[in-house]
Amino acid sequence: MISKTWRNQWFKEKTLALKLQNNYRPFIKISPIDLKEAVKQLVKDEEFTHIITITGIDIGSEVELIYHLSFGRSVLSLRTMVPKDNPTLPSIIDILPGASIYEREVRDLLGVEFDGNSDLTKLLLPDEWPKDVHPLKREWNYERLKKRLEDT
Amino acid sequence: MSTFHIPFGPQHPALEESISFTFEVEGERVVSVKPRLGYMHRGIEKLAEGRTYSQNTHLVERVCGICSQAHSICFSQAVEEIISIEIPTRAKYMRTVMAELERVQNHLLWLGITAHEMGFQTLFMYTWRDREVVLDLVEAITGKRVNYGINTIGGMRRDLTTDLIRQIFKGLKKLEERANYYKKVCTSESTILSRTIDVGVLTQRDASTLSAVGPTVRASGIKRDIRADDPYAAYDELSFNVITYYGCDVASRLWVRIDELFESMNIINEALTNLPNGDVRVKVPKDVIEGESLNRVEAPRGENIHYLRSDGTERPYRLKIRAPTLANILALCEMFTDMNIADVPVVIAGIDPCIACAERITFIDIGRKNRWIWNREELRRYSQKWYF
Repeated sequence: MISKTWRNQWFKEKTLALKLQNNYRPFIKISPIDLKEAVKQLVKDEEFTHIITITGIDIGSEVELIYHLSFGRSVLSLRTMVPKDNPTLPSIIDILPGASIYEREVRDLLGVEFDGNSDLTKLLLPDEWPKDVHPLKREWNYERLKKRLEDT
Repeated sequence: MSTFHIPFGPQHPALEESISFTFEVEGERVVSVKPRLGYMHRGIEKLAEGRTYSQNTHLVERVCGICSQAHSICFSQAVEEIISIEIPTRAKYMRTVMAELERVQNHLLWLGITAHEMGFQTLFMYTWRDREVVLDLVEAITGKRVNYGINTIGGMRRDLTTDLIRQIFKGLKKLEERANYYKKVCTSESTILSRTIDVGVLTQRDASTLSAVGPTVRASGIKRDIRADDPYAAYDELSFNVITYYGCDVASRLWVRIDELFESMNIINEALTNLPNGDVRVKVPKDVIEGESLNRVEAPRGENIHYLRSDGTERPYRLKIRAPTLANILALCEMFTDMNIADVPVVIAGIDPCIACAERITFIDIGRKNRWIWNREELRRYSQKWYF
């Protein structure tokens, strides 16, 4: 079961960068505005319907988000970058409902907002946690975080 | 050393830990449910960024005390893939054996807990007694009952001796006998059948759209098992069946796991009979070159994922872990819909969450506008009384 979808015409035009970890692990970089369409393309032939998780990484001025979708032996990773000062992406829960818990996780830890996900309440952090603190951001080291939490 | 922990990390499974659900009920019937996680967050992903790779093989084992082997295999494989190192075949076979021993102990533990939730204390005692057979074996092999610490980047830290292999064969013989007995009990005992058949239904369609994993999804008729779909360690050289049932209920989840006990024991038998000779470890560099790698293994509870990004130093730039229980939370909420309150404990147990205990469950009766809170023990007592 090797999918060919991600090699179709649409992806040829929209792919910004392609990296292969091995034959079954393509990493495709796309622009945030194409994200939703890309997921639609991958899901349409009942192929990549299983969402594994969404990885968020703070890479300095931007937040990198990787959507890992699997189909049989393959895991396809869609990579997209959003600016760190206003990280917003369209939600994909209308296409893949399983993504909702991962969108909430990424929002808690990196502050990325997902347009279209009506339930972005806290999933992992305590209720009294300060709103502007997203612990996976690199500026929050232990000392700074400890001090901030003691102050509040 | 500061003992401060950042509340971040994978929702990780270990028994008797906390998760909170808010159930919306109408009389006895559950209308909707809202989970709240986060009580067990220890910030393992953040911690991993400050530890060296060899320290991290031990840290990731602490994500879960029960499926620690699955985590350390997954992490080691991710590192090995980035530095392009092939581990010796003997080590691959040993990893498989350890992973399957872990699966046997996990499924026995789970069977005991589910029996306990049903009020079937005898079965609980039996399975936990038999689980000691596996725990004695892993202790003999690794020196520890849990968090084995036997994996390392590049292979295994200890080798299997002929004496140990003989001991494992002896233990398996006893376990197989007991598994046959459990199969008989769980397919014929009326207490179990009445508490599990058609309880906590998760249709094949829902299981697929909610991206559920592991025995939960296999009990809804979907053949998804990383060992077969995306083989790692020595699984591509060993023969085994992926067990599926089509009942979509707790009974099917029970039967999948019992049948998996037999499959696991067959895998261990086959792997040990054909165990290749040679080294169990290769030397690896301390620093890991820049790269990224996504790796997955089938933990006893389902698909386990590690995504690793390295930046050329001795510490990871980012380690993302997705343990199977998190993937099953949405499916669990789906199972609750239209169900009796009395079935809540057994359905929660059905997905084998490590967070099996709903620490606090709030009930809201729509008709009477009441709101009350039960702890897990009160809920368990209520459920058993309701059925008697």
